[in-house]
Amino acid sequence: MRGFGDLEQVIMQRVWDHDRPVTVRELFDELARERAIAYTTVMTTMDNLHRKGWLDREKEGKAYRYTATASQAEYSARLMQEALADGGNTEAVLSHFVARMDGAESEALRAVVARLTERRPR
Amino acid sequence: MRPALLVFGYALAVAWLAPPLLARLTARGISARLGLAAWLTAMASAVASAIAALQFLIQAAITGWPNLAEAVCRSVTGSACAPTVYKSAAFEVGLAAAALLGTLTAAVLSWRYGRSVQRARRRTRAHAELARIAGRSLPGEVSGAMSGPLSGALSGAGSAMVLDAEQPVAYCVPGRPAAIVLSSGALAVLDPAQLTAVLAHERAHLAGRHHLLTGLTRALSACFPAVPLFTRGAEEVARLAEMRADDAAVRRSGRPTLIAALLAMGTGTAVPAAALGMPAAALGAATCAVASRVQRLLDPPDRGLLVRYGLALAGVTLLLVLASVILAGYAAPLATHALALL
Repeated sequence: MRGFGDLEQVIMQRVWDHDRPVTVRELFDELARERAIAYTTVMTTMDNLHRKGWLDREKEGKAYRYTATASQAEYSARLMQEALADGGNTEAVLSHFVARMDGAESEALRAVVARLTERRPR
Repeated sequence: MRPALLVFGYALAVAWLAPPLLARLTARGISARLGLAAWLTAMASAVASAIAALQFLIQAAITGWPNLAEAVCRSVTGSACAPTVYKSAAFEVGLAAAALLGTLTAAVLSWRYGRSVQRARRRTRAHAELARIAGRSLPGEVSGAMSGPLSGALSGAGSAMVLDAEQPVAYCVPGRPAAIVLSSGALAVLDPAQLTAVLAHERAHLAGRHHLLTGLTRALSACFPAVPLFTRGAEEVARLAEMRADDAAVRRSGRPTLIAALLAMGTGTAVPAAALGMPAAALGAATCAVASRVQRLLDPPDRGLLVRYGLALAGVTLLLVLASVILAGYAAPLATHALALL
């Protein structure tokens, strides 16, 4: 197992996969089958995710049942929207592998590809 | 007054005259590292000179204060006032007003600058956390077993996350920890070797802390939208940082693979590296940022050109440092001398 951030991602992924409210115990049982992990670690992580707004929870008997506050697709869409936003100066500092291009620019680039891939006469 | 004007004049000269010169030296991205150093030095020297000029102005205003106070005192108490005293006082009032205005302007600008940097940093960290938690781990990285063609590029800072989106997108977000984000659309157009090149490029950004350079210069350009050194400089710093990262990716994956990866990501269609002929006489005028990066990779500079550009850039950088140090050293005694005259 790697860092703490990694566990948050693993747990969110499980919660999304379940598609119904889950308890700490259920997730712990699943995870314990695959890696050495303590129950309290899972509980703390889910508590943190709740505090950060990733998970909703409802008390049921003695335990909480957790659900994701938004679907994974919604988060993806939000990230993509921010990543492709016109880099305003108060926006996140992201380094894109290729900058966003307008129609004319991608047309020009396609011409470059055509030029480089054509069979050259010997 | 004079030292302040002198040093401020230098700051203005650098801000308006350096960009065309530096732009010519860094246009082809030869020796991108020295190019980055030259732009950053020019910006730092302009900012430092402007601050030094303000300091001299404040010093001059303080020096003139007794004159002003004397004139005010005399006119209030009704004692005899020589016209020369009033004449001098008028000048001192102007000086004091200029110093006050300069200080206020500097305070507002640095506050705005700080806020801009801070806000971007917050947004960046939040974005990194969102990507880290909401993304899926890149297949092959999940198990933590580092083998296969990706092993080398995957070690080191910044785990790669995949988001479901058709558009081919790849970027890195600095943070604690940092993240590299790939869209499923990007994975669809890149072969494993090209993916390694893309990851090496993004890791180079993270390892080189390029976000610090781009973040700080971008905020500077936002605070001074009319100053060419800062607006042009921010663009050039970002462009040269891309080239630095390209160079790192070339070292890892070779030119053809990186070129194919750039073209695939740019056009959104798979481009096998093996299909690319590499004409030495490249593409003519580059029409967009990606095309100019491709062109730079197709036509690497020979040793002589590298040395010439390297020397020129190092020379300009040294000159900028020396000029601002010497000027400040020359102006400082003038300012203190004026103080001692009283």
